[in-house]
Amino acid sequence: MDFPLILNISMFLTLLILSSPILLPLLSKNYQNSPTTIMRTVKTSFMASLIPMILSIYSNMENTTFYWEWKFITNFKIPFSLKMDQYSLMFFPIALFVTWSILQFAVWYMASEPYTTKFSLFLLIFLIAMLILIIANNMFLLFIGWEGVGIMSFLLIGWWHGRAEANTAALQAVLYNRIGDIGLILCMAWLASSMNTWEIQQHSSTNQTPLLPLMGLILAATGKSAQFGLHPWLPAAMEGPTPVSALLHSSTMVVAGIFLLIRTHHMLCNNQIALTTCLCMGALSTLFAATCALTQNDIKKIIAFSTSSQLGLMMVTIGLNLPQLAFLHISTHAFFKAMLFLCSGSIIHSLNGEQDLRKMGGLQKLLPTTTSCLTIGNLALMGTPFLAGFYSKDLIIENLNMSYLNTWALLLTLIATSFTATYSLRMALLVQTNYTRIPSITPINENNPAITNPITRLALGSIMAGLLITSYIPPTKTPPMTMPLATKTTAIIITTLGIILALELSKLTHTLTTPKQNVALNFSNTLGYFNPLMHRLSSTKLLNNGQNIASHLIDLSWYKKMGPEGLATLQLKASKISTTLHTGLIKTYLGSFALSILTIILFTQN
Amino acid sequence: MAAYLTHQQKVLRLYKKSLRHLESWCIYRDKYRYFACLLRERFDKNKDVKDMVKATQLLRAGEEEFWANQHPQPYIFPDSPGGTSYERYECYKIPEWCLDFWHPSEKAMYPDYFAKREQWKKLRRESWEKEIKQLEEETPADGPKTEALPPARKEGHLPPLWWQYVTRPREIPM
Repeated sequence: MDFPLILNISMFLTLLILSSPILLPLLSKNYQNSPTTIMRTVKTSFMASLIPMILSIYSNMENTTFYWEWKFITNFKIPFSLKMDQYSLMFFPIALFVTWSILQFAVWYMASEPYTTKFSLFLLIFLIAMLILIIANNMFLLFIGWEGVGIMSFLLIGWWHGRAEANTAALQAVLYNRIGDIGLILCMAWLASSMNTWEIQQHSSTNQTPLLPLMGLILAATGKSAQFGLHPWLPAAMEGPTPVSALLHSSTMVVAGIFLLIRTHHMLCNNQIALTTCLCMGALSTLFAATCALTQNDIKKIIAFSTSSQLGLMMVTIGLNLPQLAFLHISTHAFFKAMLFLCSGSIIHSLNGEQDLRKMGGLQKLLPTTTSCLTIGNLALMGTPFLAGFYSKDLIIENLNMSYLNTWALLLTLIATSFTATYSLRMALLVQTNYTRIPSITPINENNPAITNPITRLALGSIMAGLLITSYIPPTKTPPMTMPLATKTTAIIITTLGIILALELSKLTHTLTTPKQNVALNFSNTLGYFNPLMHRLSSTKLLNNGQNIASHLIDLSWYKKMGPEGLATLQLKASKISTTLHTGLIKTYLGSFALSILTIILFTQN
Repeated sequence: MAAYLTHQQKVLRLYKKSLRHLESWCIYRDKYRYFACLLRERFDKNKDVKDMVKATQLLRAGEEEFWANQHPQPYIFPDSPGGTSYERYECYKIPEWCLDFWHPSEKAMYPDYFAKREQWKKLRRESWEKEIKQLEEETPADGPKTEALPPARKEGHLPPLWWQYVTRPREIPM
């Protein structure tokens, strides 16, 4: 069987089906898009993308296809080549499956909005840009996809552009991603100048890549994947509608940074400094995000910080030199995170726009399917044995324990894992249990299959995906086979400790103690004071320096002090000193005459 | 409405905002009800203080206690300023004068409305002078004190600036 041909054709077919809602209205005037047709297109595309995935698993084969070469200048050619290896062929069906479920959900969620077709088209264009990024074999095509997802993120976060906070959040996303793009362009420039190609070559190079381009790549991943330092845009991006949060800011766009590091792993694997940077930054991000998630009251912000924390965990995995495991975590994370967002969207819409946990409760009987799937998602996130999250998360913790690397990073990651359990359980308890605190009596039901079908489909994926992927894709690096029992059960013990902490805190919430602020609560609630500090400090410093340079340096110093005013001051000083000599007494003048004649005689003597 | 708040208004505002922040702290309703009753008792204890100096001092102490114990992320209703769906549909709201720019074929889709519309516009033209005259008379010399508009004073007159109110866009657009 001619595998490469079938692989190429089925991949091309997938992309063609996907771009048909954009191309067909251009070709025929009568064709009208609608959200349902776009959803069906993505579903068909998903079915088509299963073919190359199954083929590649069966034949264990990769393929790089080369379509066209842009002869840029004489010795620098940019081939438009697509790489179909296990990463891209596995990610295609997952991304399409998640997008299909989200689009079906969005048909219900955005039903009362005008311009739903435009919304679905935006999501489709985002998906196409993301898939271009995934399948790209060279940095140029990857950069096209990278910028494409950034732009679509801006448009989708600012969907309700009448809202000031939505516009601010969209700008934040674009600006923080731009800072990351500096790193990416730096790396591309280095690649173009030293290797004379933008192809991502997968040779295991023994020669070391210098640190600068690797730092550029890590900066790009920091910006796109919301690591600590460039993270504020991700919680702010929750201003967009829930389907946008589910697709972009949980499953697909934010993993683009990590995916870049996976693709360029052959450059990173020899440089210990770069790997340590990844490890420490990932550990810091995961702990910081988990700490912030503990006291948030908005359900979408909790899930956003949870995403940020898991991205930190993926960065830790990159730092451990395990790109395939990071990819496994990306794949399993996509399922349960998208499902958590869809469940939260269902809850929000049922409660008439209420997003605050303090006004939810007792929803288990009112929304049984949604809350059950919320529980499944939370369990998968916590790493419950044999659900999807377990296969990736437990392996990461085991590898982290057994590696001879930074203990500080290990400790931070373990604390963050326990916090994950804490905030997940807090969210689940406040949403589902106890008497209800809903303000208004809204007609709450789940009768629409557009709600239940996507959520149950993703729940099935959250349960099965880990098992299926690990059964069919063998690991490229040998995982640690033997370890002490304590090390093996570290993850589950830490998670149980987190659950106990959550239950204790929940009991504390019920007791009749006077509530008041404390330092830890304030730190966590205001997101570590990072946002006002960085946003205001950097801009005031920049503007102050600009003002100093413009007015003090140029106007004041050069024009005044070095010029006329300076001369005038000097003259004034000199004249003040010499004023004391102008006394008006004849004796002083005669004395000065005598002094000057004496000096002249003495000089002319020589 | 005057520009200054009375003592009663200040006390009531303090009470309401402290109840709201208490609600943000005490998530469960039974706990909230317990502390709300305690708070109410504290306010009621000083309700009959007649000495304004002492009352102002108590109010100031109350405000300082509120500032120290406020919640960092108080609960805000979704449609209130600062809430999650505040001004969400602002981008879909268009002013009514855009209707004048519709193509006649589009206007023909709603003949009843556009027929009536001409009558409404005629009414507006007629009452405009009277509205402006009323506003000029009733506004004090150094500018208006509040944003509230006065009602119609004479028989047969329409309230000032009624057109802006009547033709305002829907809260949640179609």
